[in-house]
Amino acid sequence: MPESISISYDARHDAECWTGRVLRIGVWVSASLMIAGLLFGAIYPSTIVALSSNPTLGNLVMRMLSGSFDPVTLMFAGLVFLMFTPILRVITAVIGFGVERDWRFVFVSSIVLFLLSGEIVYSIFIKG
Amino acid sequence: MPIISFISLLLGGFIAGTFGALLGLGGGVLLIPFLVIILGVPMHQAIATSIIAVIATSSAGAAMNLERRTVHIRLGMLLEIATVTGAILGGITANYLSASVLAKLFSGLLFLIALVMIWRARQHRGQEPIYTDGALPGSFYDDADRKTVQYTVKKIPAALLVSIVAGNVSGLLGVGGGIFKVPAMHILSGIPMKAATATSNFMIGVTAAASAFIYFAHGHLNPFIASTAALGVLAGSMTGVRVSRRIHGNMLTWIFALALLGISIQLYLR
Repeated sequence: MPESISISYDARHDAECWTGRVLRIGVWVSASLMIAGLLFGAIYPSTIVALSSNPTLGNLVMRMLSGSFDPVTLMFAGLVFLMFTPILRVITAVIGFGVERDWRFVFVSSIVLFLLSGEIVYSIFIKG
Repeated sequence: MPIISFISLLLGGFIAGTFGALLGLGGGVLLIPFLVIILGVPMHQAIATSIIAVIATSSAGAAMNLERRTVHIRLGMLLEIATVTGAILGGITANYLSASVLAKLFSGLLFLIALVMIWRARQHRGQEPIYTDGALPGSFYDDADRKTVQYTVKKIPAALLVSIVAGNVSGLLGVGGGIFKVPAMHILSGIPMKAATATSNFMIGVTAAASAFIYFAHGHLNPFIASTAALGVLAGSMTGVRVSRRIHGNMLTWIFALALLGISIQLYLR
């Protein structure tokens, strides 16, 4: 195999491995947060804080930054982290295609990222 | 949360995830009827829960497929433009539809899935046609045949159109949409079945995330239900993937296709 093709193939496999790692880490971190929330709530039911049944992303971030790790916040944090995992995967793809200098697919994956960002902004707009 | 609800959700999610993986469906196809019919969860909450479960199983499965190099990342990213657009529109539309309309649409989807499963079970697998004159060349190592399969992608515009529909159904009804994408990629675009399944699974997480934030914003995400069911589905799908290597799936496909027809009628009549 010519050297240039070999380098490109290795770079491509590295990008695939990194994308796979991002997904795996995302799933384990979010699953851990959800399990922690469920266990915490089962062991110490009195710590369940009735977050409004309809929290905003801002509420959640503020509660976590203030150190309020009650069961509901932990579960929501796990769910939101899981929802962000595929978005992190798209960001990894943009970087990976950039490393490969495949500008056409940097553009394609940027469009996907733009659509997802637009959806998050829309969600914040309708919810606050 | 009462312990009995916790166990029911975890077990229901586990069973939905296991059989979803065994039958090549996402967990959502079985999880939503379980949540709505057995546990009485409102339709919008059941869809939001299923979307979370779909993200979890797709992400875990895609990580494995990426290491096996069966995913065609470029094709996946290109089709994601269509699935994400469809999913966002589906997620927005779903919040303006009543639970009973969504239940009837889901019932129609189950009926369609059951027919596709029966059609697949009756098919005799022959040699897969491989096209080398298309675009976006891809390759993967086939463990079963012990050879590298090289292929190209044909009819990308047609695959993009089907992907918009798949994304829309995903956002509207909380399923992965692989039931549309895999046949489209395989039959229309000439992608080998293993690569089509892996690429579809890779795309499903992003498609589901596209509508997840909308359901979250509308307050349909119940943290107890979604966390418990998603963990159950995740554990179930991992078990299903392991078990599927050891069992013959054709009889199982027939049984579940008939069961899905029954569930479809029950959901329609609710």
